[in-house]
Amino acid sequence: MTDAVVIGAGADGLVAAHLLARAGHRVTVIEDSPTPARSSGWVPSQLARELQLGDLALACPDPWLRAPLAGGGALELWRDMARSVESIRRLSARDAERWPRFCERMAPLRVLIERLYLEPPPNLVDMRFALRVRRLGRTAMEDLMRILPMPVAELLDEWFESDVLKAALATFAVRDLQQGPRSAGTAFRLLHYHAGSPTGVFRPLTSNLAALLRSRPGVTLRAAKAARIGVRGGRVTSVVLEGGDELEASLVVSEAPPRRTLTELVEPGWLDPDLARAVRRIRARGVAMKLALELERPAEWSTLTLAPSLDDVERAYDDVKYGRASARPWIDIVADGKQAEAHVQYAPSGKANAALGATLLGVHVPGMVRTTVIEHPQWPEGQPHQAELALDQALWMRPLPELAGYRTPIGGLWLCGPAMHPAIAGLCGYSCAREILRAQ
Amino acid sequence: MKRYDVIIVGGGHNGLACAAYLARAGRKVLVLERRERVGGAAMSEEVFPGFRFSVFSYVVSLLRPEIIRELELPRHGLHILPLESTLTPLQNGDYLAQWSDHDQNRRELARHSVRDAEAYDEFGLLLHRMARAIKPLLKVAPPDPASLAPRELWDLWRLGRYFRGMAQKDLHALWKLLTMSAADYLDEWFEGEALKGTKSASGIIGTLLGPRSPGTAYVLLHHYMGELDGVFRAWGFAKGGNGSVSAAIAAAAQAHGADIRTQAPVSKILVSGNRATGVVLGGGDELRAPIVISGADPRRTFLGLVGEQHLPDEFLAAIRRYKFRGSSAKVNLALGELPRFTCLPEPGPHLRGAVSISPSVEYLERAYDDAKYGEISRRPYMDIVIPSMLDPAMAPPGKHVMSIFVQYAPYHLNGGWSDARREQLGDTVVDTLAEYAPNLKSAILHRQVVTPADIERIVGLSEGNIFQGELTLQQMFFLRPAPAWARYRTPIDGLYQCGSGTHPGGGVMGASGRNAAMAILGARA
Repeated sequence: MTDAVVIGAGADGLVAAHLLARAGHRVTVIEDSPTPARSSGWVPSQLARELQLGDLALACPDPWLRAPLAGGGALELWRDMARSVESIRRLSARDAERWPRFCERMAPLRVLIERLYLEPPPNLVDMRFALRVRRLGRTAMEDLMRILPMPVAELLDEWFESDVLKAALATFAVRDLQQGPRSAGTAFRLLHYHAGSPTGVFRPLTSNLAALLRSRPGVTLRAAKAARIGVRGGRVTSVVLEGGDELEASLVVSEAPPRRTLTELVEPGWLDPDLARAVRRIRARGVAMKLALELERPAEWSTLTLAPSLDDVERAYDDVKYGRASARPWIDIVADGKQAEAHVQYAPSGKANAALGATLLGVHVPGMVRTTVIEHPQWPEGQPHQAELALDQALWMRPLPELAGYRTPIGGLWLCGPAMHPAIAGLCGYSCAREILRAQ
Repeated sequence: MKRYDVIIVGGGHNGLACAAYLARAGRKVLVLERRERVGGAAMSEEVFPGFRFSVFSYVVSLLRPEIIRELELPRHGLHILPLESTLTPLQNGDYLAQWSDHDQNRRELARHSVRDAEAYDEFGLLLHRMARAIKPLLKVAPPDPASLAPRELWDLWRLGRYFRGMAQKDLHALWKLLTMSAADYLDEWFEGEALKGTKSASGIIGTLLGPRSPGTAYVLLHHYMGELDGVFRAWGFAKGGNGSVSAAIAAAAQAHGADIRTQAPVSKILVSGNRATGVVLGGGDELRAPIVISGADPRRTFLGLVGEQHLPDEFLAAIRRYKFRGSSAKVNLALGELPRFTCLPEPGPHLRGAVSISPSVEYLERAYDDAKYGEISRRPYMDIVIPSMLDPAMAPPGKHVMSIFVQYAPYHLNGGWSDARREQLGDTVVDTLAEYAPNLKSAILHRQVVTPADIERIVGLSEGNIFQGELTLQQMFFLRPAPAWARYRTPIDGLYQCGSGTHPGGGVMGASGRNAAMAILGARA
């Protein structure tokens, strides 16, 4: 089989590389940045089976959400529904009674989304898609039409009265998005992060998917940076590395952002000017500061979500609209022993700094030894999804309708990064590789 | 006593249009209007001696051309005077003007940005195409996508076929318009702040959303919908004020034999055995008819006039969560002289068009920020017209009337609306506008301030929402006003809705009234 080069050794690049290798390709992976130790997001059993990921370790903190209350104590949401209900009851009996019903109501929508996420995006007027939606039954179907375009604040206001509960849930819906909880379409994102989790858990799983695949034989890893993708007669011919080495390839799969792949690595002349313009317009604003924390002693909690009310989250968003870091951001911290990772939103890219982070976190996390800003070379402007996951850049629109099928107008050049559908680590690479193999 | 086939509750423009179509088809129709004149929010009134105002809605932009044609509205007195321009005064003393004359417009845009002038035509073409694509949907009674009834399936299939017939590229462009914010959408096309601000303003009208809120791009289309019908321009005045629109439709209805009774408030819709049988008037009189149609908004209709005990729980839940959140106010001024804008002090053609206080997207977004937390915008967005410039009969000789549409003035104001807060709103508006037209304050003879609470009290629109419910994606098409009940029918047999709270809703469009009549007549429009 032909030589394939995968640019990028993240979860998506590695999943694509190994699937192609299993199909007989000789694959080289250009490791242009270190493979992350943990990948965030659902790893469906179908993927685990195909790649024989027997030693995959999935993790989700339990309680998956812990939000301290103003008067002491904390709201805790557990995998165990009954324990969540117990905790919510301390805030509101009405919310406690509604929590299981809310979770049940979201479950069929999650199932539909999971099915959509295992495949390339459907066509907007795909009859099979329409029929699948119809099969959900009346309630779920109406929920789908109504909830996807809703502001998450409105959805949560319909169900709950407790500020802390609503705000903590809303943080998942606006995570890494330059929108506030009152912005339309954020309810969709609550479901997005719900994919792959059991009913009642809205925090995405993490896994060792990328790290596991990196240590696995079958593909050649090469630590280098791609400088250019060679194209002749509208087809890829090679990948040129920084330093001048050239790898011949008739198949190039790029995990890099579409803008970098199509307007920097490829000579822009190969692209239709309209498409080139659209690629440059893909929104990929980073809005969160990610910090690695080193603690004096192991934390007594596994997660900590600091977001007192929907209005607080909304006000934090107001700052970033005008290019400022939030004076009072919402914060989500996941701790593992003496290590912790904090997500501080909103802070526009360029405004992140460790000192600011330490000041914001210091009050809540005593005993911080060191705070470092996590930066990722694959995240343009600091956006981990590479293309903001909003309704106009999701599903059949992701990242652009012209590129939603993972293929590019250049023969043999494919996109497999997080900018692609479904924006879950590993699954973009999975669908991309399957489309490549299907096309052969 | 005369027997009627149909009783219509509410003589707003939609109720009247519905009446006209039903009467035209031979039904005996009675329209009951609570106030002393018809029109609902589309009405004119001599508020101050000699000064006539379109007190609430003030321009005609979306009135469906088929209604004008089929009801022969010009013959019944409708005369539209086109608005030729939009002037956006800027804080630095300059301005941006948009003209209906293509070349003049291009020159003006190029003065600010050559790139924008170039992009403008292409943008206009795309939006025209999109507007043309969705125009047929305005006439459709939205089917129930979850139903298995043959008729619903047939209509769904037709709808699916319609969309499948569209070019992929257009479908995607439409999806973007539906899901993006006006600000993001315009950023893809233009760089000029004043142009983006003024264009995005059309996306926020009537909603409690800012230009950076997703879902606001769609309303940009409305500006291109009227223009393309070729009957008249997108924006215009009705001679005599917007009451003339209602008066013309009422005259058409009466010419077809409909009866209209004013000062006839309906206090209750009679339901017996899940069937509407008539209405009870404020005075206690009962009027019977096999069909009752409500032009009132869904909350007033179902929670007020019908009563919860007659309705299924799920439907009630949908009506209760249906969002209004009025955010718009009006300030009507009687002026002793024309305003002199610092950027263009002399009277000129710009005063015959709209003046938009929307210097940038950020300006509008900040105005929204205030309202989001329950306050009146400290520096509001304003859309201003001077009807007396086009129709001198609106004011005494040499004097003028000015209509100022204001946003945001949230219905759910912190502390609630009061006389003092109303005056505070009036002062904010006048102070802000006087920064651009310094002679304004001394020119004011009279001032009328209409808050969302006033709109609710006077016209009966819940929470003062000018569209009878927010036009957001989750309240549109299949879902307006409630899932499974978007076809103008209701869970009560013989009870129908024809107001803006049904598809397509919003604006002085008349489409809801016409569609409801068509649904009742069983005709496919």
